[in-house]
Amino acid sequence: MISESILEGQKVRLRPVEERDLPRFVEWLADREVTRWLAAMGKPPTLEDELEWYESKRGDPDNVMWAIETLEGQLVGNVELRLSPRARRAEMGIAIQDRSQWNRGLGTDAVRLVLEYAFDDLELNRVELTTDEENARAIRCYEKCGLQREGLLRQHRLIDGRFGNTLVMAALRDDWRRARR
Amino acid sequence: MMTDERVLQGDKVRLRAREERDLPLFVRWYSDPDVRHWLHLSDRPDVTLESERERFEKARDDPALVVWVIETLDGRPIGNVGLQGIDRHHGRAELGISIGEKEYWGRGYGTDAIRQVLGYAFAELGLRRLWLITDEDNERGIRCYEKCGFVREGLLRNHRLRHSQPLNMIIMGALRQEWTEAGS
Repeated sequence: MISESILEGQKVRLRPVEERDLPRFVEWLADREVTRWLAAMGKPPTLEDELEWYESKRGDPDNVMWAIETLEGQLVGNVELRLSPRARRAEMGIAIQDRSQWNRGLGTDAVRLVLEYAFDDLELNRVELTTDEENARAIRCYEKCGLQREGLLRQHRLIDGRFGNTLVMAALRDDWRRARR
Repeated sequence: MMTDERVLQGDKVRLRAREERDLPLFVRWYSDPDVRHWLHLSDRPDVTLESERERFEKARDDPALVVWVIETLDGRPIGNVGLQGIDRHHGRAELGISIGEKEYWGRGYGTDAIRQVLGYAFAELGLRRLWLITDEDNERGIRCYEKCGFVREGLLRNHRLRHSQPLNMIIMGALRQEWTEAGS
């Protein structure tokens, strides 16, 4: 579903994804430099693909998704939680799709907001994610947010014709609360 | 592309496709608290004939899923083994197995079944990686997976609940490259 909650941090605001955001996503997702890091990405999506994607997320009660925008209201990417409610856990997926906005701490701010929402509002025990072993920028960001490395999935993903390892990282509610005190 | 449940024959077990007449058996297996204990099922609603039928029907339309019934060589069904999330692009799938007839636990039936599936996945489907997750305290399961060539790749903290208590799970992976080198 599209989250109705608006979350505001130091640098970004998370708000519901709207249909008018989709053309920007299509534009950004045509860039190999962006999609190279995205596990779920196959061919660059068309506007029709994105619309279908948007509708399927909207109808999925176990998915919470936001658009990420700067505090000035400029769209830069999206973030979602894929929930496993009975296990009290979720998998996070985040993409700052606008490459000109990389390395400014926007992702870090967004991840922190989503963790807070996941642990405080949804009362999850665990938020996990996977990322390429080579994605040093993302790993640094996740570690800053308190996620820990838990494992390395060998040859998990085909990237440009070769097999890359995938890192599993997770944050636990108990650690999160302790760190905040 | 649909992947079908070809009959696979090992030293102790035969794997065959599920049939509608198996459903009452699945209901009995997956209602057993000792069986559920080790599965993600432990905190799910009860299994009924309707819920199993629904799962069976849904599985038939899923091109990324194969599920076999594990039978003894004299034809007694004792459990299920399958692959889900078959991803031909990345060449990987997740393995799941459960032996529903408890008197067959710890006797090598699961090991034989998994070896057949590994061979099928690597040699016939052309996959490069199989992975699985299992409860950290499932020593019998872990021993079996290691015997089949799975390697521990990580510890997922508080990954699921068992009777409302958070439980760590281990993630393991087997690579075609290593399986071939081991001469399996």
